[in-house]
Amino acid sequence: MPDESQAATPKLPTEFDRRAFFTRVGLRSLGIAAAGTIVFTYEFLSPNVLFEPSPIVNLGKPDSFAVNSVTMDVNTAIYLVRAEEGFFALSEVCTHLGCLTAWNQDLGIIVCPCHGSKFTRTGEKIEGPAPKPLPWLKTWVSDDGDLLVDRSANIPPLQYLRI
Amino acid sequence: MSTPKDFAAGIDSDQRRSPTRVVFVTRRTSAQVKVSREDQVQTFPEVLFRAALAIELLAILLVVFSLFFNAPLEGIADPTHTPNPAKAPWYFLGLQELLHYFPPVVAGVLVPTLLIVSLIVIPYFNINIEASGMFLKDRARRKQIFYIATAGMLIFLLLFHVYVAVAPTVIVALGMVVAAHSTPESPSQLRRYLASKPLSYWIMTWFLLELIVLTAVGTFFRGPGWSWVWPWRS
Amino acid sequence: MKIPMNAEQTIEKVRGSRIWRSVFRSGTGNSTLHRALAIQQNIFLHLFATKVRKRMVRFSATWYLGTLTLGTFLILVITGILLMLYYHPSVPQAYADMKDLQFVVSSGLFLRNLHRWSAQLMVFLVFAHMFKVFYRGAYRTPREFNWVVGIVLLLITLLLSYTGYLLPWDQLAFWAITVGSNLSSAVPLVGNKIHFLLLGGNQVNANALLRFYVLHCVVLPIMAVLFIAVHFWRIRKDGGLYVQQSEPKAQAPSDSIEPAQEVK
Repeated sequence: MPDESQAATPKLPTEFDRRAFFTRVGLRSLGIAAAGTIVFTYEFLSPNVLFEPSPIVNLGKPDSFAVNSVTMDVNTAIYLVRAEEGFFALSEVCTHLGCLTAWNQDLGIIVCPCHGSKFTRTGEKIEGPAPKPLPWLKTWVSDDGDLLVDRSANIPPLQYLRI
Repeated sequence: MSTPKDFAAGIDSDQRRSPTRVVFVTRRTSAQVKVSREDQVQTFPEVLFRAALAIELLAILLVVFSLFFNAPLEGIADPTHTPNPAKAPWYFLGLQELLHYFPPVVAGVLVPTLLIVSLIVIPYFNINIEASGMFLKDRARRKQIFYIATAGMLIFLLLFHVYVAVAPTVIVALGMVVAAHSTPESPSQLRRYLASKPLSYWIMTWFLLELIVLTAVGTFFRGPGWSWVWPWRS
Repeated sequence: MKIPMNAEQTIEKVRGSRIWRSVFRSGTGNSTLHRALAIQQNIFLHLFATKVRKRMVRFSATWYLGTLTLGTFLILVITGILLMLYYHPSVPQAYADMKDLQFVVSSGLFLRNLHRWSAQLMVFLVFAHMFKVFYRGAYRTPREFNWVVGIVLLLITLLLSYTGYLLPWDQLAFWAITVGSNLSSAVPLVGNKIHFLLLGGNQVNANALLRFYVLHCVVLPIMAVLFIAVHFWRIRKDGGLYVQQSEPKAQAPSDSIEPAQEVK
């Protein structure tokens, strides 16, 4: 009907047979089932419990770190730096492709062995293919007076922890 | 010819029965099946025995090689110590070399995806089906485009310091220059051959050469920290 | 019943026996019919046509690269299954099993070597096969889809090699996979999720090893077999292997059944 096609409001189908109805119902319920299957499969594939070490690391008493020292903790991939301004922790993981960087005492910089990225002591990139600076990690002192670092929590750089 | 038997002609689409097929041969025609009159051989034994022989020879080669050369096994996986250099398996070393010049999004995701997509669509472009020589039509205009594109590619490579990729580009470009100045009537066989090659041939050859060069560089010329080393010096 | 005196007669007797004929229904013989039936009536072999064009069989046509790739795949499946019998995909047992295979298991070193070198060769052959098919022009109509199936097989081969690379759980394996899987997190938007799903965690550890093991030994081989079957089937249905005529210009394959035309 030509004049109906120019109507602004959509027109409900007034005529479709049982076959079309059941086809539609069938396909849509299959669609819902498929969507549900995908969601459940995704949830199944994402483990709920990870047997990985806790992201919060206890590094001991603050006084055990000398001023202007850079301490590498390879097991947790953290640099604990005690600068004159205070304490801070950097992630050792290179932001390029995940290799472990290393602190070079003689040159006073952090170097990545994989593709040669270099960073300053505060994590800024000097050169290399790494796209971002090394992230600063949330650092605080526990009630027992121990230094704690949360490896999964990044904080903006240059926020020193003064004790 | 015998007298034709009685029959009823019609079209039967009864799903429940296997149809009987009938060929109608009308007057002044002949039923001809046009096939290429090529010689054929039987799969068994010709193909199967050749395949078996090839696989047996391959197996012997691999067995002998395995008896003399051991697969590498380094120390146990240590998450706290990254070896220097940390290299991917050889077939990914070309990619790892690219990662040295471009960020991971480009070299690690974009380039491989584009490569795979371009490979997949090759047979769907008409120009690849016709496969006529690249410079045989529209020679002047195509030469122009070729020079501009090559210059652009070289500038791009030099800008990003991808010096190792320059050599294959130059080699392929030289081949294309020869092709641009040749015709199917050229004196030397090489020039006739190059003149007949389509664009897809040049692009694929460039890709093959780049693959070889980048993989070779990643294998032999990269040392600790992915720094450049000359293999004969270390 | 006379007792047959030589090997040939024995073979003929066996092949004529009722048991043999119940298994191999088409019987035996050297006739064209029997040779065709040997292919056509075999569930595995009837993926092939009973006859092929003689030009296709020449070595110079394809260098047999496809066949050789299949050969390496078969070697890998057999050695792989044997290696699985002594390998536990857990950390750190996997590495201990590698040492076990190399020093304690009879022929363990040999099997591991064979598996590794066949794998490297298979990757090389797959690339060589692809380039040879391209330069032959064997991707053209009607073979486009088979080219696509071939690219899919190339990806499956690379993934098989990549997932297998982690299984020894040595430094080479661990860091190659760490770097490689970090590439997946470079994918915009969903990169981190892909990374997490692939590894079953935030870093390469026991979950990653198990997932790669399942991918390497079950999922990817099944996909490979299915796509290989499609690949072979398409070769046949597209008119057999494409071999260029002697003229420099490539031509589409000419065997087709054309309808009878009216002779005027």
